[in-house]
Amino acid sequence: MNDRDQANILMVDDQPGKLMSYEVILRELGENLIQARSAREALDQLLRQDVAVVLMDVSMPEIDGFELADMMRQHPRFQKTAIIFISAVHLTDVDRIKGYRSGAVDYISVPVIPELLRAKVSVFAELHRKNRQLERLNRELEQRVEERTKRLQENEDLLRERADLLELATEAIIVRDLDGMVLFWNSGAEALYGWRREEVLGKSVHQILKTRFPNGFSDVERTLAQAGKWNGNLTQFTRDGQEVTVACRKAMKADGNAVLEINRDITTQLKTEDALRKTERLAAMGRMAGIIAHEINNPLEAITNTFYLLRDHPSLDEEARYFAKLGDEELVRVAHITRQTLGFYRESEQPVEVSISEILDEILELQARRMEFHNITVDKQYGSKGTIWGFPVELRQVFLNLIGNAVQAMPNGGTLRLHVFNSSWRYRQHPEVCVSICDTGTGVDPKHAKHLFEPFFTTKSVKGTGLGLWISKGIIQKYGGTIRFRSASFTGRNITCFKVRLPDANIQSFANSKPAAREVAEILGASNAHQ
Amino acid sequence: MPISDITILCVDDEETPRTLRKLILQKQGYQVVTASSGMEALEVLKQTNVNLVLSDQMMPGMTGSQLTQSVKTMWPAMPVVLISGVNEIPKDASCADKFISKIGGPELLFDIVAQVLKDYGILAELDHKTR
Repeated sequence: MNDRDQANILMVDDQPGKLMSYEVILRELGENLIQARSAREALDQLLRQDVAVVLMDVSMPEIDGFELADMMRQHPRFQKTAIIFISAVHLTDVDRIKGYRSGAVDYISVPVIPELLRAKVSVFAELHRKNRQLERLNRELEQRVEERTKRLQENEDLLRERADLLELATEAIIVRDLDGMVLFWNSGAEALYGWRREEVLGKSVHQILKTRFPNGFSDVERTLAQAGKWNGNLTQFTRDGQEVTVACRKAMKADGNAVLEINRDITTQLKTEDALRKTERLAAMGRMAGIIAHEINNPLEAITNTFYLLRDHPSLDEEARYFAKLGDEELVRVAHITRQTLGFYRESEQPVEVSISEILDEILELQARRMEFHNITVDKQYGSKGTIWGFPVELRQVFLNLIGNAVQAMPNGGTLRLHVFNSSWRYRQHPEVCVSICDTGTGVDPKHAKHLFEPFFTTKSVKGTGLGLWISKGIIQKYGGTIRFRSASFTGRNITCFKVRLPDANIQSFANSKPAAREVAEILGASNAHQ
Repeated sequence: MPISDITILCVDDEETPRTLRKLILQKQGYQVVTASSGMEALEVLKQTNVNLVLSDQMMPGMTGSQLTQSVKTMWPAMPVVLISGVNEIPKDASCADKFISKIGGPELLFDIVAQVLKDYGILAELDHKTR
């Protein structure tokens, strides 16, 4: 309804002549005039349309004007509808009209003065129009508020969704200002670096993570300023001092006041790749060893046999025989070395009888010069040969790892203690070979102890792959054995012991197993493809 | 059977190692005949009374284990010892009675040969001398 819309004016009177005269008086207002001959008819009209003003005669048969007004006021829709009573001037009527305290009520006395009636009706009609307009504006306003609220809600949902996504990401997502102060730190960053959000907010990200930049920080800053983004690998440190390598993507925020940063931990990936390269290199070395072995072994046999024939040949005098004996002895050494380093039977498919104490002796021989150099003494106690069924190459790998670690732990000398004995525990079904390897070296930091057998764990930073003990444990478990570790310190000396238990003889368990080296290569290959 | 009555067929495609192996076995007291290939070895076996075959594994044409299979088919009671300079034991080598490394030295070779002969009842315990 706009300003020019007609208002409905309901005229109620039982006398048609009066209705006619009201119509004539009000026609020039330009409103819509509706006639009703009785209170009932009036109510009917009221229900049918929106009426601005009811003009009614007080005295009507059946239901009079006051009764009609009462009925209207009881209905919530008509409580505010304007009413103009027309009555002869009785005092009682005036009093009753004044009794309608609320609502727009007026009266006109008879004889009706046309100007007055027009003026009163016109005021009420106008009032009604204004009210309707106000209501419409209100409704529009409400609708607009509703729409706005809905849009805000949607925005908020979107923001919450994005925040949830940021928290869901395994990457470390960081926002910092241009001075490097942390503004945002997601749970991926908490997980990667070990620092909680509240601990780092407002602090310098570079100081917290001790970030090392490949070409210096100024290079990063320059690229960020020019191109708006920077990609590269960074070296950082976690809260407990672990070095991590991250693939970092930085971008300048649109307003140029902050830098967004996403860091993905690629430490394990790099190490896996490195380990794979090493495994490949070892495999290549193995193939090479095979070829060399063949080329050396053939002439070696011929020379050995020659010396055997020469050794006590009747045509030689004593001195010549002595020389032949020397040559023969040296050849035994050559044969021994090729057998050890180029390993005959190294890739046998079937398990064979292996003596653990012999394997330990072989390893000691290989490490002899290193141990002598570092002033390490060996305390050997072999209660038995420690014979089990297995693959010599794997067992050699296990004990080379353990002895190698022990030797490395004693750069300033010490004692390497090797025990081998058979145990047939009452509670165990099979007899076992127990091997313990102890050193008096630097010991193991208790906080490292629980990670010792995890892959890629190393305390040797550059030198170690962190795979040695993990592979060793895997091999031992394949044999149905166990490896335990203890480190103790008393009277200023550290003693670190690894105890390996291997089942004495259990050929069945090997029926379908693969050599561990291949298995490890497969694991590495798989995890690498996975990365 | 005394050791001097036992004949060993020594097979190797290379002449020097074959001859040296023959000489050390002769020094030990055995009779030795030789062949330079698997095919030749089978010919010798048809014509000569041999008690044990000692063959190199890696030979052109017929390998030691292929020769072993042929020998065992034609003379199931013939002991065969394979000798090799390679790292790996070939998968089909299990048909031989023993598979040994070339670099074990003469004493190991004598021990293995004597052991196999004894297993076949060819060499009596008393006749076995290691040197």
